[in-house]
Amino acid sequence: MSLDTEAVQQQPATAAQPEGAPQEWEPRIVGFACNWCTYAGADLAGLSRLQYPPSIRLIRVPCSGRVNPQFVIRAFQRGADGVLVAGCHPGDCHYSTGNYFTRRRFLLMQNMLQYMGMDPRRFQARWISGSEGPKFQQVITQMTEDIKALGPNRKMRDVE
Amino acid sequence: MITEKMRDVAKDLLTKGEVNMVIGWEKGTFWYNSTPVFITKAEDVERLVFDEFCTNNLAKYLLDYKTAEGKVAIFVKGCDARAVNRLMQDQQVQRDKVYLLGIPCGGMKEAAPGTQPQATEGLPLVEKCQNCTSPNPVVFDVLLGDQVSVRDTQNRFAAVEKLEALGTDEKYAYWGEMFDKCIRCYACRNVCPACSCRECAFDGNGLNWLGKQNNLQENQMFNITRAMHVAGRCIECGECERVCPMDLPLMAINRKVIKDLNELFGAYEAGMDVENRPPLGQFKLEDPEKFM
Repeated sequence: MSLDTEAVQQQPATAAQPEGAPQEWEPRIVGFACNWCTYAGADLAGLSRLQYPPSIRLIRVPCSGRVNPQFVIRAFQRGADGVLVAGCHPGDCHYSTGNYFTRRRFLLMQNMLQYMGMDPRRFQARWISGSEGPKFQQVITQMTEDIKALGPNRKMRDVE
Repeated sequence: MITEKMRDVAKDLLTKGEVNMVIGWEKGTFWYNSTPVFITKAEDVERLVFDEFCTNNLAKYLLDYKTAEGKVAIFVKGCDARAVNRLMQDQQVQRDKVYLLGIPCGGMKEAAPGTQPQATEGLPLVEKCQNCTSPNPVVFDVLLGDQVSVRDTQNRFAAVEKLEALGTDEKYAYWGEMFDKCIRCYACRNVCPACSCRECAFDGNGLNWLGKQNNLQENQMFNITRAMHVAGRCIECGECERVCPMDLPLMAINRKVIKDLNELFGAYEAGMDVENRPPLGQFKLEDPEKFM
């Protein structure tokens, strides 16, 4: 909830400049990171001084299986340009099987968003383990580049 | 003829006291209406009727009597039987508390309001029956009438495929236009046999996943969430689309989910039996992997 208001207030100008100056526009990506793998992986990326774009806002969740499709839609509603769901690799889940359910749910969700007219690149899911700092860096960099190319998200959004 | 059998069996059940209530259909205000009826006295069984207009899926009414004493008998068409299975799978209905009277269904018809009585042969099938995969009840205690043959359902996903072929922005424009019409009356949820949560994510007065504003974004949130909540549990009875006062193509969303689930995780038809769990409630190690 704090994400929407803060992020919007910090950058009031972004909405007013769509494709005009893409180099000044930084996308806002909301990342749901599983506590046991991806959050640790992000930590490792930081500890290793790996550079990645500051576009990601991480939200720590106990398991990627905790992430509900509603979280994703809400993020888009409140001004996210992209959403990432990241967790342990299948087989590595701290709760044994949580991410297998995530895998099914978000494969479906990705198709659903596409069907509703969202660009599929705006919603991604990735497996990033606690030792994969470089992968975290690479995923965030890649996603930021993709979304920069797409421009700000206007779809499903209810804040200006 | 089925009507006669219905009355006989209902009378029998009620006089013997095997059930406390029979849920069926009676003739409505117009000749093209048959509405749900709840019979508790044996002398009222003459009200029961089965014709081409018994479109309502009765299974959801079982939730109203799930804590009641004794048994409830209910007439089930193919889709209603799947709905009962669905509710039993969710532990909403106990098998030994319902008495299922199966009726093989040739499909329901509709007449334009205000038309004069005429032969029912020429009338078109209602939308929800055109691509019915299970006209025969899959679960029942007694079957009234003979099994009917399954209609050709080749074009079940035609509407979905048509929409899938649109461009990203075209899709968004299309659904925007549709969801703009939504008045969020929640009729689709109320009628849905897959929606049985006592406390729904869309209800409640406090801060919630769904805001109370009437705008496109909240309507999108509602409709996508509803589709995801019933994902893998939709029995394709088409009641949501039938009851929608704004005529939203809700089955085009539900069928999209069904189509994707079948393609991604193997064929599954919800409500065909109680044992086989819905695809989002289980997993396989060899599921498709796109998130590497």
